[in-house]
Formats: sequence, structure tokens, C-alpha cells
Amino acid sequence: MALLQISEPGMSTAPHEHRLAVGIDLGTTNSLVAAVRSGEASTLPDEQGRHLLPSVVRYMDDGSIIVGDKAKAALGLDIHNTIASAKRLLGRAVNEIKTLGGQLPYRFVEGDSAVPQIKTRSGNVTAIEVSAEILRALKDRAEESLGGELTGAVITVPAYFDDAQRQATKDAARLAGLNVFRLLNEPTAAAVAYGLDQKAEVDNQVIAIYDLGGGTFDVSLLRLNKGVFEVMSTGGDSALGGDDFDHVIAEWLLKSIDQQAEPDAQLLRDAMIEARRAKEALTDASEVSVSLADWQGNLTLDQFNTLIEPLVKKTLMACRRAVRDAGVEKEEIAEVVMVGGSTRVPLVRQRVGEFFERPPLVDIDPDKVVAIGASIQADVLAGNKPDSEMLLLDVTPLSLGLETYGGLVEKVISRNTTIPIVRAQEFTTFKDHQTAMTIHVLQGERETVEENRSLAKFALRGIPPMVAGAARIKVTFQVDADGLLSVMAEEESTGVRAAVEVKPSYGLSDGEIESMIRASMENAKADVEQRRLREQQVEADRSMQALDAAMAADADQLLTAEEKQTLLVARAALAEARNSDDAEAVKAAIRQLEHTAEFYVARRMDSNIQTAMSGHNITEFER
Amino acid sequence: MSIDFKQNYFQLFGLPVQYELDKSKLASAFRELQAKHHPDRFASGTDEQRRIAQQITSFINTAQDTLKQPRLRARYLLELAGVDFDDERDTTSDMAFLMAQMERREALEQVSQADDPFDAIDALSKSVRAEQSGLELDFVEDLDAGNLDDAKQIVLKLKFFERLMGEIKQLEEKLEDDAS
Repeated sequence: MALLQISEPGMSTAPHEHRLAVGIDLGTTNSLVAAVRSGEASTLPDEQGRHLLPSVVRYMDDGSIIVGDKAKAALGLDIHNTIASAKRLLGRAVNEIKTLGGQLPYRFVEGDSAVPQIKTRSGNVTAIEVSAEILRALKDRAEESLGGELTGAVITVPAYFDDAQRQATKDAARLAGLNVFRLLNEPTAAAVAYGLDQKAEVDNQVIAIYDLGGGTFDVSLLRLNKGVFEVMSTGGDSALGGDDFDHVIAEWLLKSIDQQAEPDAQLLRDAMIEARRAKEALTDASEVSVSLADWQGNLTLDQFNTLIEPLVKKTLMACRRAVRDAGVEKEEIAEVVMVGGSTRVPLVRQRVGEFFERPPLVDIDPDKVVAIGASIQADVLAGNKPDSEMLLLDVTPLSLGLETYGGLVEKVISRNTTIPIVRAQEFTTFKDHQTAMTIHVLQGERETVEENRSLAKFALRGIPPMVAGAARIKVTFQVDADGLLSVMAEEESTGVRAAVEVKPSYGLSDGEIESMIRASMENAKADVEQRRLREQQVEADRSMQALDAAMAADADQLLTAEEKQTLLVARAALAEARNSDDAEAVKAAIRQLEHTAEFYVARRMDSNIQTAMSGHNITEFER
Repeated sequence: MSIDFKQNYFQLFGLPVQYELDKSKLASAFRELQAKHHPDRFASGTDEQRRIAQQITSFINTAQDTLKQPRLRARYLLELAGVDFDDERDTTSDMAFLMAQMERREALEQVSQADDPFDAIDALSKSVRAEQSGLELDFVEDLDAGNLDDAKQIVLKLKFFERLMGEIKQLEEKLEDDAS
């Protein structure tokens, strides 16, 4: 079958044939792919009939990679090699991830670029590569069930995704071999799925999209006019979702069984599973019997509602803010669209209906609605509907600006500006004969540099020497239709031009992407072996560095001359093994060094100076 | 498919060159242009087509954004009349105005201590808005009379108000966060 389909991507269909295009909802918890077939948009199931693909990727011992339900099953068992919620890490820097780190069990390592890497048994992987695996699985599924190669895809992203996150999403798609027609905001996709762009009575009206997923909550207000959507405002809470409903029920269950001792991990897990079951049952029941350990009882809908009321209220607070940000009155909102599995909870529907003073739209499966909308736009962009008037306009989710005197931020493009857009701002030198200037690009709404997100920093050099204030530096911001930013600076008073373009710091460079694509195309086994060796070498370097740092700090106080000698011998053995091309030998030498150093690590802990060892180095020794 | 990049923003949307703005006319002209030129119209076209579409839409969006925001519209009108702006060094020299601004900032700082902070902040933003509209009327008068320097002073003052409104909004959000 595969042999019969030799053709270049995008060339497999004749001009008048229907071009295959899909919409992909790349979610934090689950992902979906949808396509328009015979005029009907629907999500595509896998061979077992499952539509949702859990966004979980597991790296196996033999170098193979598993995506979806099977990977999800290993979440609690093989934590270091099973990556979930990669979407939260997309476009994030190492230090930002450390703040998320508490909830994430992964072993992060700092690579050469600013893109953080997760250490797995088959090498270090980035969130971009993990996401690419999910996208590849969906692409394969789509090509299998549609029977041909895809010409392109529309991939959805949260409306608030910043430049780096959008870039990372596009990078992941490229890695997966997908031609991205467009990144589409999730709320816009949901509105399209309901065909609100085709409804005359909604024309020039505002619609609200309430999206409560497993772990995130987003609310967006859109205005649409003659097939044109504009995002007016977005808001939400990246750490609030249906999982929190499970948590409050689980807490209630644990309180109910009145256990004195601290609950163990198994009990906690059981409580979470039972909580989830109870929540789902209460979607259309007024009471559900629950049990945990030896305890049995009932949870009524009223009790459940009381438990989750504060959480639901929090989402409404975000709605209130989004309405104000959009500069509209609640009465102007014509429709409310529900997205995300957690909007099946009756109290959520009720409260949202009360807040917006109208019943929300719930006809389309809230898990599938975003993918369906994306597939409708993909169909249009593929050129299958030449007469369609649909056009989706997007806005910048956050303000973009530059650092000025005193660590303050000067906004160049304000939040909610329709893109693509170009805006320029002029600056001048503040010292005589100044020939260079640092351009610091920031994203966010706050006034000071520290409170905003640093996107890029670069220097403009070659400014002709002039008295302070005479140079005119024009800094131009350009945001393209996908929300990706490039910044250019030039000195224009003398006609001398010096321009620099920047790419977001947390995306991958074109070179990195190419090498990744090339690497993935190489013979898989050799590739895995190579990666394993590289990984072991990096690990070896790190172990040696950690030991050196530790010994430099306190070897004299904590070690006898003999002990020192033992450690140095083990270190030398590792240094030698490191330069061989045998991954196993390197690994064995690392183990040997770690084993030899165990007493030293313990002694350092005891002497309460473990702070001298920095971050992950100490964990390297602990293992 | 192309447009004339030399025409001014008002001409682009078929609007009269004046401060007073017909918002609905701007909106419909904007959407009409977008529908014709947006890069999505060329999603399966050539790179060249998409690049041109990107340039044209950027121009349309920049034009729309400029006209939509009162201060930027006022500034643009002055620029069309030949007034030069220097982003970094231009600032108002009206001492009375600066004093009044400082008082407003103090008022803003005291909002959180008020009995009902939300009421206090509403009152403050209302007074700022009233002041803003007053300045806008003055601007139109100065512009019509050809007092371009005075008109420029007003644009610079409007920038102060813009910043202040931004801070008011931030504080409002913070108060809401604390309340929730």
C-alpha cells in the first residue's frame, strides 16, 4: 500500500480534486484531528474507535516511541520517560519551567540553546519534539483514514499563546512533517464549528467562548462581522480545570473516611479515581453512591455543587474581566459557546448561563468542537471552497514593547491589535559618540521590565558617532498573520543603515529544526544508539563537573587524602570511558563514580552544606 | 492584487481627513479590505503572493489601529500637517497640567485605602475620561484654527492620560484579584 503512494507532499492530488486538509486541536490533556468529508466536519477516530488521543508520549527501552492511551497508562509507572502536558512547556525557558517544576516529575537539563530539555532513556527531548510526536500520530491517523497525503493543517492554539509559544507550535508541526496553513485561536475555532460566522442574526455581535478543560480555563470574547472574526479579549486561569473538581471531591472523600494516619499514595490515587467517577456520574444524576477503602456513602449533586462553587466563581471573575477588557456590556453578547469536557458539569452550565444571561451553546461535543472548527477552516484554506467568505482575523494577545530608561517598558504594539501589523518607534542615543544600543524586546502589560516577559535582546551596532540625542534609531516591530514577531532596528538620521532581525528566544532555529528532521529520518536504530552515547557523554561531563565543583568547595574539610585519591581514580576512569564510543562503557563508568562518591555525598548532606552543590548536580549524585 | 501605499490612512478607508471619526464606516471599510487582501486568501498560493498580502494587510491594520485610537489619530493628523514628533524627548511643559497629573497619581495610590475601592477607582477613571474628552474638543479647535503647536501639546498630554488609564486598569485588576 505504501509503495503505491509515492508522491511529494502536496502534489498527490490533481488540481480539481478535493485537497486533503485537517484541523488539529493540540491540547494539554487530549488532542484530536478532524476533517471535512462530503461537506461534513467530524473528528477522526483511531482503529479502536477512540477520537481523543491523550497528549502523552512515552519513550521506550528499545528506542521506539508510544503516543496516546498506552503511554498514558504508564504515567504513574515510568514517570521519567512518559511525558504529559508538554503543551505547558512549549515555548518556555528553563527558568520559567522551574516555577512550574513543582508539579512536573521530569528531569530537566539545560541544553545549548534556550530550549529546555527533558532527560529520557532515549535521550534528551524538548517539548517541541514531544508535541511533534503527538502531531505525527494524528497526521498518520488522518492519512490512514482519509486515504492520502495531507496538503496542510490548521492547528489550534490558546488565544493567549505568546510569540514563543506559537513559534514552538509551528516548529513542532514542521518536525512532524505537517504543512501549517495557519495557527488558529481555539475560541475562534469553536465559534466556527457552530457556524456562527454564517448566522445573519449574530452578525456584528459579540460571542463569548467559555473553555474549561482538564487543567486550564480560558475565556475569550470575539466579535464577528460578515465572516470576519476579531478576538476582542482573552482571559482565564492556566491552573484551573476539571481536575480541580476531582481534587475537591477527593478531599471530601478522604475527610469522610476519617482516617487518622496520613493517606498513602494508593489511597490518594483511589480517591482521585473515585472522585472522577462521581463527578462524571453527577452530570445526569442527582446523587451517586461512592466508596473509598472500607467507607461507603453518597454524594448528592447539591453537595458536589457546594464543593465546586468557589472554583466556578473564579472562572466567572475571569469572564467579568474579559467582558470589561473587550469594552462591551454583557447585553451585547449574542452567544456563549461551551468548550472543554468540564463544561458538561451542570453547575458550570447553570452559572455561565446566569452570568451571561443566556443559555450557552452545548450541542457539539465540547471535547471535539475546537478540532471541528479548525477542520472547517483548513478546508477553506486548502482551496476546497473558493466561494467561502470566511476570514479569521486575529489580534496580539499581549502588548509588545521595548525597554527604556530606568527599566521601564514603552509599548510599541498594544494588546488586542489586529495582526499582521507593523509599528515603528523612534529612539535616540543618550551619550555623546555612542555607537551601539541595546534593544530589549518585551511582552506583557506591566510597566517595569522585570514584570514582563523578555522575548529578545540584541545590539544595534555601527551607529555613527554623534552628540547625544542626535541619532534617530527607528525600531520596527512586525507581527505576521500567525502572531510571530520580528524586530528590526535602524539608524536613520544620517542615512546609515544597520538592521537586525530577531527571532523569539525560545523557539528553535531553522538549523536546529533541520538537523532534528534529518536526525529523525536517519536509520532509527543507529540514531538511538548515537543519541544514547551522546546522552551518556553529556551525563559523564556533568558528573565530573559536579564532583569537581564539590571537591573544590569542601574536599579539604570532608575527605582524607586517601579518599580523595579514590575519587580521583574513579573520575579518571570515567574521563577515559567518556571518549570511547561505547555508551554502555560510559554508563558503567558513571555508575562506578557515583557509587564511589556515595559516602562523600552523604557526608556533604550531613554537614549541611548541600546548598554548595547547585541544582540538578546534586540529584545526579543522589541517584 | 495591490494597493497604493502612498495614500494616507483616511484615504485608504475612504474617510474624510478629520479628527471626528465614523467608526462604523471605518469598521466596514476595514473588513472589506481585509477580506480582499488577507494572507489567508493566498494560503495555497505562492510565497510571493503571501508576502505581498502580508505587506498589504500590515498596512491596513496599522492604518486602522492608528485611526481607531484617539491619541494616535490626533498625532497622525498633525503629522499629515507637517508637525514633527520626537517620541523620546517631546513632553509637555504645562506645569499646571503636570501638577494636576501628580495629584491624580496620589489619588490613585490612595484608592486601596478607600472604604469602597471600586467606587473610588470608578470615580477617578470617570474624571480622567471627562478631562480627556475636554482635551479632544480643544484639539479639534486648535487643529481647525491652525494652532499646530498647541494641538501638539494636547497630543502629548493625551499620552499622560493614556498611561494613567493603563495604571487605573491594572489597579482595578489587582483589586479584583484580591477580592476573588
